[in-house]
Amino acid sequence: MASERQTSEERARERLIDLAAEFYDQFDAGEIPYMTLPTRTKSNIEYDEDANVWVYGDRTSKRSANSVRGARKLLKAAYTIEFLARQLDEDRSSTLRELYYISESWDNEEAHFSDQDESNKLIEDLEIVSEVKREDFHMRPEESGAKLMGPLKIREQTNRGDREIHCQLDVGQGGYQIPNNPDTIEFLDHDIDFVMCVETGGMRDRLVENGFDDDYNALVVHLGGQPARATRRITKRLHDELDLPVVVFTDGDPWSYRIFGSVAYGSIKSAHLSEYLATPEAKFVGIQPQDIVDYDLPTDPLADSDINALQSELEDPRFMGDYWTEQIELQLDIGKKAEQQALASRGLDFVTDEYLPTRLDEMGII
Amino acid sequence: MTSFQSTLGDEPGIAEELAKGQREISIAEFFEKNKHMLGFDSGARGLVTAVKEAVDNALDATEEAGIQPDIYVEIAEAGDYYRLVIEDNGPGITKEQVPKVFGKLLYGSRFHAREQSRGQQGIGISAAVLYSQLTSGKPAKVTSRTQGSEDAEYFELVINTDQNEPEIRTEKTTSWDRPHGTRIELEMEANMRARQQLHDYILHTAVVNPHARLELREPGLDEPMKFERATDQLPKQTKEIRPHPHGVELGTLLKMLSATESYSVSGFLQEEFTRVGAKTSDKVHDAFRDRHFGREMTWRTPDATEAADLVAVVEDAVANKGKEATAAFAEELVDIVVGKERIAHGELVTIVENVAETVGEETDTSFGETVRENVVEALWPALTDDREGDVYAIVDDVTTTQKDDAGKLSMARSIATQFAETTGPADRATRDDVAEFVAWAAERTKEREDETYGETAQENIADAVWSRMRTVSDDVPKVREVADDRDVARDLLDAMRETDILAPPTDCLSPISAELVEAGLRKEFDADFYAAATRDAEVHGGDPFIVEAGIAYGGELKSEGKIDLLRFANRVPLVYQQGACTITHVVKDIGWRNYGLDQPGGSGMPNGPAVLMVHVASTNVPFTSESKDALADVPAIQDEVELAIREAARDLKSYLSKRRSLQKRREKQDVLGRILPQMATKLSEVTGRPEPNIDGALGRIMNNLTVERAVDDGEVTLTVTNHSNTNESPDITDIVSAEPTGLDGEATVVDLDGEWFVKWNPEVSSGDTATLTYSVAQDASFDINVDGVETEKLTVNV
Repeated sequence: MASERQTSEERARERLIDLAAEFYDQFDAGEIPYMTLPTRTKSNIEYDEDANVWVYGDRTSKRSANSVRGARKLLKAAYTIEFLARQLDEDRSSTLRELYYISESWDNEEAHFSDQDESNKLIEDLEIVSEVKREDFHMRPEESGAKLMGPLKIREQTNRGDREIHCQLDVGQGGYQIPNNPDTIEFLDHDIDFVMCVETGGMRDRLVENGFDDDYNALVVHLGGQPARATRRITKRLHDELDLPVVVFTDGDPWSYRIFGSVAYGSIKSAHLSEYLATPEAKFVGIQPQDIVDYDLPTDPLADSDINALQSELEDPRFMGDYWTEQIELQLDIGKKAEQQALASRGLDFVTDEYLPTRLDEMGII
Repeated sequence: MTSFQSTLGDEPGIAEELAKGQREISIAEFFEKNKHMLGFDSGARGLVTAVKEAVDNALDATEEAGIQPDIYVEIAEAGDYYRLVIEDNGPGITKEQVPKVFGKLLYGSRFHAREQSRGQQGIGISAAVLYSQLTSGKPAKVTSRTQGSEDAEYFELVINTDQNEPEIRTEKTTSWDRPHGTRIELEMEANMRARQQLHDYILHTAVVNPHARLELREPGLDEPMKFERATDQLPKQTKEIRPHPHGVELGTLLKMLSATESYSVSGFLQEEFTRVGAKTSDKVHDAFRDRHFGREMTWRTPDATEAADLVAVVEDAVANKGKEATAAFAEELVDIVVGKERIAHGELVTIVENVAETVGEETDTSFGETVRENVVEALWPALTDDREGDVYAIVDDVTTTQKDDAGKLSMARSIATQFAETTGPADRATRDDVAEFVAWAAERTKEREDETYGETAQENIADAVWSRMRTVSDDVPKVREVADDRDVARDLLDAMRETDILAPPTDCLSPISAELVEAGLRKEFDADFYAAATRDAEVHGGDPFIVEAGIAYGGELKSEGKIDLLRFANRVPLVYQQGACTITHVVKDIGWRNYGLDQPGGSGMPNGPAVLMVHVASTNVPFTSESKDALADVPAIQDEVELAIREAARDLKSYLSKRRSLQKRREKQDVLGRILPQMATKLSEVTGRPEPNIDGALGRIMNNLTVERAVDDGEVTLTVTNHSNTNESPDITDIVSAEPTGLDGEATVVDLDGEWFVKWNPEVSSGDTATLTYSVAQDASFDINVDGVETEKLTVNV
């Protein structure tokens, strides 16, 4: 494991220097330095039949030093490459937010990032052109990864040595906090029947309180809104390495469907990493528009932005297919949305005693 | 009412009482009380106005004499008063004229002339004299020397305001160092609060009179303000023109009619007016006839089938001529008449005359005056038998289908009756008469048939009838008769106005010309950009006028606040009442943002470092008041002012947008010129290689023309690469310290004292590269110079 890690770091460093050399050669040939990136829009993501995920299509955009904006971006890229290469040399790591502040210390004001969004994007760009994951650059996101709760035993390499942890017996009510780079985890043993990804903290706590993980041998993963890369990565590994079915349980609104979409098929922002992050076999539990009707759940009316989002999902390649078309059209028809917690209108145990068992049974999970 | 009258009646003699106080007021007295009308409303303003009047006169006088003006203005404190001296190098004024020119209001040579001149009414300078004597009590001191005279004449004079006559206090000859010219010295109560306006006036005068030398001394100046000549070219001499027929009023016309030596109206028109020749005169005559005599109605001629009846009528009317001759005459006549579509009484008379001549000759018979009259008298009723049916066709033609037939019939009948009964035998009526006929017919139709013919319907019918009427060929009245009868003169005036006549000639105008407008601006304002436009002449009220505009932008002009607007009329700067002037109104209405100037709110005076000048030259400039500070809002002039400004502003716009794009390019160059070398340094650090050469990349990025030199073993290669998207042809001069040999391409070599100038002017298309090679001794040094390409677009790397 250690030697493998060494290679991936060496490879990352090499790719970064190669990229700098590419700019250098362009200069030397009298050309304007540029880099080519896939166009990161919805219309440029395609379904990859082999991998069953959505990846960037063939359309590319050129980022060139031909404009003041473009030149500044490339200058920042050169500085960032230098910084990353040194960080790898020294076997240190830093967070995306730290990178933004580190740029303030660079001798050249033109190279300072104007906000964190800019530095985040640049790291993504470098990921894409160098084909190296940012984890291998030793860049960590600020947000913490998922919390796991369920019958799973793992070994985690930490700065303070390896730790063996059972995600039910060795942890508190909050569960096991996975690290930013879940590839440092080794699965040792498990008694899991399926992985249950939950959008909201409230619902996750409800499932744990009601002992759902225990009763159904479920590994409950808290997504916490749009899931972090680490969360999606661990979900993918659980599925691929332990051969576990994955289900996703979210609110019943268009934004939550996108959360499911990014778990299952990848996001537009990280379509270059879909193969590494997406779990195409993941299934959607609910809340489905159909559930709103069937259980007569308390609802909110759809806002205009919701309607627009639903309509754009009808065009979204990730939501093609009869199931989604039917559900989305139904939702547009009834004009309502519901939160996961709306199930509590039928009692606190309704979700674990009635709703989930029924749905999971329907889906053939239990 | 009655009681009031009776009260007056009780006091006989009140009118006589009042009459004692009534007397003639002299013009001088009038202006004594109304100084403001002439621009002398305050001490500050009075001084400016006096300078203005004297300088305007000096410029007019010198130009008329073909002399390059050299004008000296001095203002000095003299006790409680200011002393004003203005000297010119004009032709001088004769001894007899001096007192009148300076000591009598409304004495001048230009009031009656239609040509462009600065002064017009002959009020200006004498008003200054009047103002000076009123405020200081001192006489005006005038020195004048005419060309070639031994001595100068010296006068001290005042105006006798009761009589508006000069009063000479002192008169003598004196010696003067100027060979010819005029000098006036006035003392007046004044102050220098209007110093800015005074300076503006002098500066602006210098702008529009680049041929004049001006000098101003006043107590506030450390050294005199001097304006040198920018051109030797004097303004074109203007020609006096006769009035244009569209520009006279009835009173003027009557005065001209009684003064003319012409006997006929035709002669009068062609002699006294501009742009009237025989053709135009004929057109005016026809229009005059229509108004004065009216037209004759034409009627449909009977069918050829009725010819036999008509022949019988004619034969009956011809008595005592041979049978054959009579028959020949009648047949020929009827044949012609029936062959015509419509016929008027006058036409019939002419036809009868002609046929009488020809047939008379052929048959050797004399169809005399009486016979002819009889024939016309007999035949006309037969031809006009069916007036009603004829008019009906006209009414039916122009009336909407919704109208009742009975109504139309009634209209036709009534109009026909009017022709038959009120117009005499010739069916003659003016346009007004016709309108009356129709109105009367409409009234009767309303009464009888309860059908309303509105104003438009009536107008249409009247027009249709009038168009079928024929201008008569009667002789128009002679000039005497027209002059004696106001109504006839009115007809003539209307005819003149109604006729299309060529615009007046413009040699009565002397525009500054776009070139000299620009030269004037260049001379007095240090700016980055100048543009000017001169419009073609246009006419308002018979007076031709020309508008010119000029713009100066940037440079040393003040960039805060509004632009400066310079207004001129006949080369005279207008420094007061800017807000009341039509030029200002036009400027404010233009959307200056379109032309690249800042204009808060999108209207009003624009902001920015610019000077805008507008010059209106006319034989009669329409001012809002006698003080001649502001142009009146005359639509024709407004339009031209706007067009002139827009024409100049378009050049400004393209200049500014080009400047902005070069500015952007410069900014981009600045930023990229900083960033890219930094990037290159960083890349060389990261890759551990030496710094890359980034000039090629820079040239490409700037869309530039790059010039590079490579020297290899005495072989020099100059490479010109055009990265821009337009074709370029730079002038490249390579100065070499040793003799170059083996030149290829189209370069030329000039040997200048041991330095060789290799000149080359390649055409390089967008994206292309041109190369020049030559050989030179190893240790040669080079110095390259590239022209013909903006520096922002050039990267020289040698």
